[in-house]
Amino acid sequence: MLREEELKTFVDGTTRYFEVAAQQPASIGSPYLLEGEPAMHDYTGMINVSGKREGVVYFTAPRAMLTVLLMKMQESDFSHESMRDLVGEVANTISGNARRDFGHDFVISVPSVFAGEKPQINRPTGARAFVIPIHWRSHSAKLVVSLT
Amino acid sequence: MLLSGADRNRRLLTAAAGILLAAVMGLVLIVGFRLATQIRASVGTLQQASELEAYPSAISEQLTALRQRLDTLEYTGHVHGELDSSVRGFNRDFTVLEHQKGLDPAAMHAATALWGNYTPVLAKVLSYHGEPYSDTATNSSLSRSGRVYYAHVRRAELFAQANAAALHGELALVSASLQARTAAAASRLRWLLSGGVLAVLLLGLAAAYLQVARGRGERAARDAQDQTRDILATVREGLFLLDADYRIGAVWSQALTSMFGRSDFAGLTFEELLRDKVPPETLNTAMKFIKLLWGERAHENLMKSINPLGQLEVSMDNGRGGKETRYLQFDFHRVMGPKGVKHVLCAVGDITSSVLLARELHEAQENAHSQLDMMVGMLHSDPLQLGSFLDSASAGLKHVNAILKEPARTHAEFSKKLAGLARELHSMKGEASALNLMSIAQRVHHLEDMLAELKGRSELTGNDFLPLVLKLDELLAHLRGVREMTLKLSSLREQPDSPEGTISAPALRSATAGPEELTATLQSLARKLAQDHGKDFTLALTGLAQCPPAYLGTLKDCLIQMLRNAAVHGIEADEVRRAGAKNGGGQVRVEFRRVESGYELTFEDDGAGLSPEALKEAAVRKNLLSEEQAAQLDNRAALALIFKPGFSTRNEVSMDAGRGAGMDVVARAVYGLGGRIGVSTNPGRYTRFKIALPAVDETAVA
Repeated sequence: MLREEELKTFVDGTTRYFEVAAQQPASIGSPYLLEGEPAMHDYTGMINVSGKREGVVYFTAPRAMLTVLLMKMQESDFSHESMRDLVGEVANTISGNARRDFGHDFVISVPSVFAGEKPQINRPTGARAFVIPIHWRSHSAKLVVSLT
Repeated sequence: MLLSGADRNRRLLTAAAGILLAAVMGLVLIVGFRLATQIRASVGTLQQASELEAYPSAISEQLTALRQRLDTLEYTGHVHGELDSSVRGFNRDFTVLEHQKGLDPAAMHAATALWGNYTPVLAKVLSYHGEPYSDTATNSSLSRSGRVYYAHVRRAELFAQANAAALHGELALVSASLQARTAAAASRLRWLLSGGVLAVLLLGLAAAYLQVARGRGERAARDAQDQTRDILATVREGLFLLDADYRIGAVWSQALTSMFGRSDFAGLTFEELLRDKVPPETLNTAMKFIKLLWGERAHENLMKSINPLGQLEVSMDNGRGGKETRYLQFDFHRVMGPKGVKHVLCAVGDITSSVLLARELHEAQENAHSQLDMMVGMLHSDPLQLGSFLDSASAGLKHVNAILKEPARTHAEFSKKLAGLARELHSMKGEASALNLMSIAQRVHHLEDMLAELKGRSELTGNDFLPLVLKLDELLAHLRGVREMTLKLSSLREQPDSPEGTISAPALRSATAGPEELTATLQSLARKLAQDHGKDFTLALTGLAQCPPAYLGTLKDCLIQMLRNAAVHGIEADEVRRAGAKNGGGQVRVEFRRVESGYELTFEDDGAGLSPEALKEAAVRKNLLSEEQAAQLDNRAALALIFKPGFSTRNEVSMDAGRGAGMDVVARAVYGLGGRIGVSTNPGRYTRFKIALPAVDETAVA
């Protein structure tokens, strides 16, 4: 069973990105358990985890949110590639936070990024996915943690 | 470093030898200096005495030379001057000699007397200052004064020739005595130096011996120090000494470095060691305990039993910029000195792995117990009821998840979720208890505890709901396990040799519990509640067969809740019933019947009844009403308080009551079916609920 401190590590990694990159902290909404197919937004950054835990963690956000985030970061390039890079960076921060807290217990892959297309998500059998809404300004994204 | 008694003695002896050596050397130097000074003075005097010895013969010769010159009428001034100079020199040196100490007094006296005789004779010669010759044109001769002068010279010559040897002899005796004295002083100096050298040699030898012994002792101490260092570098425990100011001493074991992630322990206070690692209240308790250790009257074994640091949870840097939780065990031993407690030896062990192992073991045991309980509960449950419960529990948890899924950003939005979640979970717990599925009931109870804790917070965020959603996941997994086990049990019952009348697995999956199962469930719950709460009562159920299937589920939830309320709040303990002149055990009566407008359910217990005043007091205590508002309520309105969310007359929460979610759930369920609920009571006699439900189109339902 996933422990609270493990879940918090992924949540903190996500909110920290907003705090550092946009100098505006994100808050988290009411967490719940995913039922059925995951609802994906326009861009998704995902890391695969193995070792002590097996599964995936991904951050999925709508284009509008990423655009405002880029603007807050003083970026002028709002291209498809910039959006992809941005969700990749968030996934990378989540990964860094996990490495910091769990060390070698977790083997974490290089982030993969999906945009538009339905991502190939290999959720582990028997593991339920936790969905944590991430609210930033008027926008909402989702952090999904599915680990055995 | 500690010194042994032998080491201390050796050090004292070495110091004493050094002091003695310095004293001897000082004495030798002082006495030697004095002797040398004395010798030097004696040698000077001896030299003077020796020089004086030459004067008598010189004076005699000078007088002879003066007389001869007068005989030959030669110039005398020069010789006269030499004589005068000799006499003055003798006088001067002799006067100096007279003032010297340690001279032969007899010889000196004799010399003084002799020279005293010389003085008037020579004075007459030396007092002459005229011209001794008178010159004519043809020759020269002694003048008148010259002849007198000649006579004095001649007499002085004769005197000197007669006494020169004697004076010389006396002066030689004086010199000899001086020489003897100098020789004696030199001899004493020689002896002194020899003695000093010998003493120095002896003391030097002693010091050398002590030094060698000390070197041996130091080598042994160094070896001991090396061994101590090796032990401290190798031992897995963190060891250090605390002084009376609670500061760590200079010596500590290397294991502390990895335990605390620092190496500057010397001089650090115990408080500074733990400050950033434990919560302030834990630190406060730890410091109070440490202070107690210094009390003279503290009993060490007793202190051990109250050690608050036996298993201390600390937050450490994990070396990657993050934090990790570790468990340390602190053990304290007092080091006693002659004046009481000298130090406190502190031994710290990292027991993280054993704590985690124990926790895993405990969890495994809990799981095993819980599985066993679950198995027992399942074996005692009717498969149909069980299947029905699992279906409704899954549906209930789906609803719980749906409530969680509703978007929320503000405290009000998060707070609103809590009431809905509490209602869903409370119903589920009641049903699980009724089926004796305690592992499920306890898990739901834990979730209810978490909700109650969140309800008390002034600010709620999504972070506060993370533990809740994890617990929900755990409960769902547990339910899945129960369902799988139920299916396995059912498949066992499908075996050819299984007893007749058992239900097959497909039947379990599709069956819905009917009135008979509900009756059995309620009777089972009544027995369990009576046992759990030490109450004696019976449950009489009539007319449940008339309940339309559409109402069965809701009716079950309501009856379970009301039955729990009756067992906890209504039926009195035996002694109370006897005191109230009530005969025998309590009675709970449930009657379901068709009426003109639909259906009516009566639920009645012959227990303590409801006291409007007690209900008002409870509402004020639970902050549901102010005292003024409560005072304004009539009895009817006071009775209606039991349907308010969060209302309970109990202060403490148990598995069966105290949440304040019971009658609220019943009322909502009844309203949900379009029904009404009412309550009447006679304090001390009974409580009666009447639920009116509308008629249903059974054809449509079917």
